Amino acid sequence: MTALSSLKVLVVEDEALVSMLVEDMLTDLGCSIVGPAAEIEEALRLAGSADIDAALLDVNLGGRPIFPVADALKARGVPFAFASGYGEAGLTDDHRGATVLQKPFREADLRRVLETLVAKTTA
Amino acid sequence: MASLAAESIVRDGDAPDAHARLAELERALADEIRKTDTLARVSEAVASSIDIDNCVQVVIDGAREISGAAFGAFFYNLVDAEGESYTLYRLSGAPPEAFASFPMPRKTAIFAPTFDGVGVVRSDDITQDPRYGKNAPRKGMPEGHLPVRSYLAIPVSTRQGEVLGGLFFGHPEPGRFSVRDEALLVGLGAQVAATIESIKLNAGALAELTQRRRAEERLKFALDSGRMGSWDLDVATKAYEASDLCKANYGRRPDETFTFADLIETIHPDDRPRILASIESAIRDGAEYDVEYRVVHPHGDLRWLHARGRAAQTADDGGVRRLAGVSLDITERKRAEERQKLLVNELNHRVKNSLATVQSIAAQTLRSVAAPEFFRDAFETRLIALSHTHDLLTRESWAGASLREVFDVELHAMAGEDRVTFDYPADVRLNPKAAVALGMGIHELATNAVKYGALSIPEGRVKVDWAIEDGVLRLIWTETNGPPVTPPARRGFGVRLLERGLAAELSGGVELTYDAAGLVCQMALPLRALEP
Repeated sequence: MTALSSLKVLVVEDEALVSMLVEDMLTDLGCSIVGPAAEIEEALRLAGSADIDAALLDVNLGGRPIFPVADALKARGVPFAFASGYGEAGLTDDHRGATVLQKPFREADLRRVLETLVAKTTA
Repeated sequence: MASLAAESIVRDGDAPDAHARLAELERALADEIRKTDTLARVSEAVASSIDIDNCVQVVIDGAREISGAAFGAFFYNLVDAEGESYTLYRLSGAPPEAFASFPMPRKTAIFAPTFDGVGVVRSDDITQDPRYGKNAPRKGMPEGHLPVRSYLAIPVSTRQGEVLGGLFFGHPEPGRFSVRDEALLVGLGAQVAATIESIKLNAGALAELTQRRRAEERLKFALDSGRMGSWDLDVATKAYEASDLCKANYGRRPDETFTFADLIETIHPDDRPRILASIESAIRDGAEYDVEYRVVHPHGDLRWLHARGRAAQTADDGGVRRLAGVSLDITERKRAEERQKLLVNELNHRVKNSLATVQSIAAQTLRSVAAPEFFRDAFETRLIALSHTHDLLTRESWAGASLREVFDVELHAMAGEDRVTFDYPADVRLNPKAAVALGMGIHELATNAVKYGALSIPEGRVKVDWAIEDGVLRLIWTETNGPPVTPPARRGFGVRLLERGLAAELSGGVELTYDAAGLVCQMALPLRALEP
């Protein structure tokens, strides 16, 4: 999809195998990858300053919640989606209603979510 | 009464001597007074009897004294445990042996009116009675029987007509029992009946009381064992009674007063409206009261209670008058439920992550195999490697695993463990995420060694060294004596996982060197990313 080509997507994921899968999917969709970040500090640094169009955030980063990163992105107006094994049940009240990709997901699911995120920013 | 006896004497004869007549009257009077006194004494003894045998003995002794009978007996019916009826007797004026050799009295023509409760039989000489000697085989008194001519038999029946037994009196001489004697003894018989009935009733009541007391003790034991408090609410007055355990459920000592208002006050404010509505509905509709709620004890403890109750008594207008039930502290259960909910959530998260991991292995294996027919073997081998790490983690409830253990399970699966030597100062604890990632990385190294590297020929060896330097794990996998190695034409799954994935996930660096002597893999991983 042309809407997604050259979209710069921040990937925050602490499991190597899952991260590799997401990178492959994003590459197939024509996106370029920022990160991937496996630790909160790195994720916060990228979320605060890197050139990014959207972000995909693993909810639980080695036992630490991702929400500070989500807050930083929100502050910058960067759209993001959570990727989680918990589904929406793992979200805090602040982020209830945010876009959630339930693991495992298909490439088509990821594309749909990214399209929604992009549409939000352009609207 | 004395006048009656005196009158008969006056009418009977023309005694010339007035003094003699007076003396006779005085004797009769004294006799009557004696009889009346005896009757009063016996009546009192009968009334205060608490035991049937004793009561009966007092009566026949007293009745014999009043009537001047030579012998007295009481035959009475008792129902034993099997419901069988026995006729036992007590005697007065004769030793028990006097009847020992005779069978119990049968319902002969003479005895029938007494045992059937028809009426009194009084005879001046029973041997002359038309009913006497009618019944085979004896046709009269058996041989050896106490000699009886004067005979008086009085049925003893309850007011409801149940025959309890009969009082029998005899004397060897005829004409000894008067109408007056009969009247007095009939009165005594009625007293005996009333007393026996009352003793039986008391015994029944006592048995019931004992039974109820036992039932109550059992109930209390059951409630106490179940840590259940019991309570009772008067709907109209709101008077509330609570057992000690019930008070404890609300954080009160047994000696503290605990009113219905106190109870409502103790319920957590968020739960209060719901509980008040449930009580209301239980009172209004007689609905089952079955609620769980939080209470805040006076000293601030938050506990969960489960209360159940129902209408214990219904008013005449159909409304509920009392509500009674039990309460149970279920805080531990609630906490366990919370823990279980968290655990199930966590398990779901792990399963979903594992599925994503498997999805990744499948996708990348498919990308890296030269042809689809190699997919199955490569994929299954990786899946099983992942499973081995999971087994290791499950042994420690997913708290973690040690680096050496991860090496051992992955090498064991390759049947190459005896050709790998280790050198390290101390084992390293790994968190589950690091164990899974390193497990997969070690699996890829071992697979490669077995297929193309040092472990593909008998002389080949692998050396694993590690050490900790400045919070960084430095690990070197060195293959020697293997076939000459060349860098792969394309980066497969293993190389990508090691160089990119593992390095990124564990925030470190992984470098593969294709030395002519064999493959060397150097890892530099910060401990903070590895340790649990």
